[in-house]
Amino acid sequence: MIPEIGYIRPRNLREALEALGENRETIRVIAGGTDIIPGFHINSRRFRDIRTLVDISGLPDLTFVDLENDGLHIGGAVTFTDIVKNPIIREEYPLLAQAAFRVGSVQIRNRATIAGNFVNNAPCADSVPPLLVYDAVIKIQSTRSEKTLPLEDFLLKPYKTQLQPDEIVSEIVLPPLKKEYRGEFYKLGRRRSVAISRITLAVLVKLQDRTIEDIRIASGAVTPIGRRFRELEDLAKGETAEVDFLKELSVKLGEEILKITGLRWSSAYKLPVVQQMFYLLLRRVCNR
Amino acid sequence: MKKKSVSSSLSRRQFLKGFGSGVAGSVALNKIASALPLQKTLEKAANDANRTPLNLSVNGKTYRLSVEPNRTLAEVIREDLQLTGTKVVCNHGECGACTVLLDGEAVYSCHILALDAEGKSVTTIEGLLGGEELHPLQKAFVKKDGIQCGFCTPGQIMAAQALLLKNPRPAKEDVLEGMSGNLCRCGAYPKIIESVLEAAKTD
Repeated sequence: MIPEIGYIRPRNLREALEALGENRETIRVIAGGTDIIPGFHINSRRFRDIRTLVDISGLPDLTFVDLENDGLHIGGAVTFTDIVKNPIIREEYPLLAQAAFRVGSVQIRNRATIAGNFVNNAPCADSVPPLLVYDAVIKIQSTRSEKTLPLEDFLLKPYKTQLQPDEIVSEIVLPPLKKEYRGEFYKLGRRRSVAISRITLAVLVKLQDRTIEDIRIASGAVTPIGRRFRELEDLAKGETAEVDFLKELSVKLGEEILKITGLRWSSAYKLPVVQQMFYLLLRRVCNR
Repeated sequence: MKKKSVSSSLSRRQFLKGFGSGVAGSVALNKIASALPLQKTLEKAANDANRTPLNLSVNGKTYRLSVEPNRTLAEVIREDLQLTGTKVVCNHGECGACTVLLDGEAVYSCHILALDAEGKSVTTIEGLLGGEELHPLQKAFVKKDGIQCGFCTPGQIMAAQALLLKNPRPAKEDVLEGMSGNLCRCGAYPKIIESVLEAAKTD
C-alpha cells in the first residue's frame, strides 16, 4: 500500500525546482511512476522516507526532442513511447530506439521516462548501455545551479547517482554521430515483454577499411550498473576486424565482467552467452 | 425437479456466510471483513485531512471527487466510482488486468496516482459499451471465445482497444506486441489474439 503522501503538480520546471528546493529531504520527483509506485506497494526501503511527490510528467519544458548543432536534445520526461516513435532517434540513434522498444510493455512505455530510467539506476536499465555508447551528456538543474556532465560520471552504483535531492535531470544531449558508425543492441530477458533484462549489450564501431578506428562497448544487467569498457575499447582500436580478433575481444569481455562481478550462480550461463552474443554483434557490425 | 431447485435457492454466498459465522465465529468474520476493499475504503474515508479535489473524466463523464494523494487511479475507479470492470491483480504494473486508456493510450491504472489523471480523459471497459450493445471488441471476444475464466479480459480488451485506435488493421505480430503487457493465467492467448484480429476485421 502507498503511504500517506503529499502531491504537488507544478505548471513548469521552475515551479518544480522551487518545490524541491523548499523540502529537500522528504520530497521526491515522480514522472512515469513506474518505479516509485510499485516500490511503494512493496514497501521498498528506497522510497520509505518520501513524504511529498512532485509530479513532472508531461511538463512541456521536459518533453521536447530537438535537433541542434551540438546534438540531439531530449527532455528528461520524454516517454519511451515517444522515443520509439521519434523519426530522428530511429534514424540517427537507432540503438536507443531499439532499447526503448524493449522496455516493459506498451503500458509501461507510455508512462516511463528516459531520465527516470537512469535516475533510478537499476542495473538492468535498458536505455543506459545505448546512452553510454552515444556518449550522452546530461543537464541537471536546481534553483541554485545548472550543470552538465557525462552520464557515465553521473551513475555511481546500483540505485545511486550524483543527483541531489533538489535537482532534476532536465535533458539528455546525444552528441552528433558520424554516419560511419555502425551499432548493435542486444537484450536478453526471461521472456520478450515485461521482462527485466538479464543481459544488455550495446556496441558502436567505426571502421576504416577493415581497421577498427573507434569502438564503444557498454553493458547492463551483467554488471552492477550500466558501464563502458574503456580498456577493451583501447585494446581494439587500430586492430583489424578479423574473426580471430573479434573472438578474442568477446572472450575478454566475459573475463572483464567476471572480474567486476566475481563468480555468481548465474555466471555459468551468462558469461558464455555474453561472449557468444557480443561476438555475433561484432560480426554483424563489422560485416555490414 | 422442482424440489431440487428450491433446495438450491440458498445461494452459495449465504451458505458460506452461515458456515463462516457458525464454525469460525465472529473473530474470523471481522478478519475477513477487514480484508475486503469496502472496509479499507471506510477506513480511508475517516481520514480526510489530506484530501485533494480531483476532477476526473471517466468514460465521458466528469466526476468531482476528493481523494487522498496516495490512492491509485485503479483504486478510485473501482472503489469511488464503483466501476469494477477494471481489475487489480498484481498491483505491480506487470499483469495488465488494470489497463485503462488515459487520453487514448493504454496504461496500468494501478501504476498511476489518481491525481495524475486530472485534466486527462480516462476510458474503462464500461466506457466501451454503447447502452446495452457490446463493443465490437467485446463481441469478437465472445465470438472467438477469447475468454476462459474472464478475469483478465477487461484489461485485454482495453489493451486491444488502444492498439486498434492506433493501428486499425494490425498484423498478428502487431497484436502480439501490443498485447504483450497483459497476462492470462488460463493461457487463452491464441484465442485472445484471434479475437483481436477478428475485431480488426469487423471494425
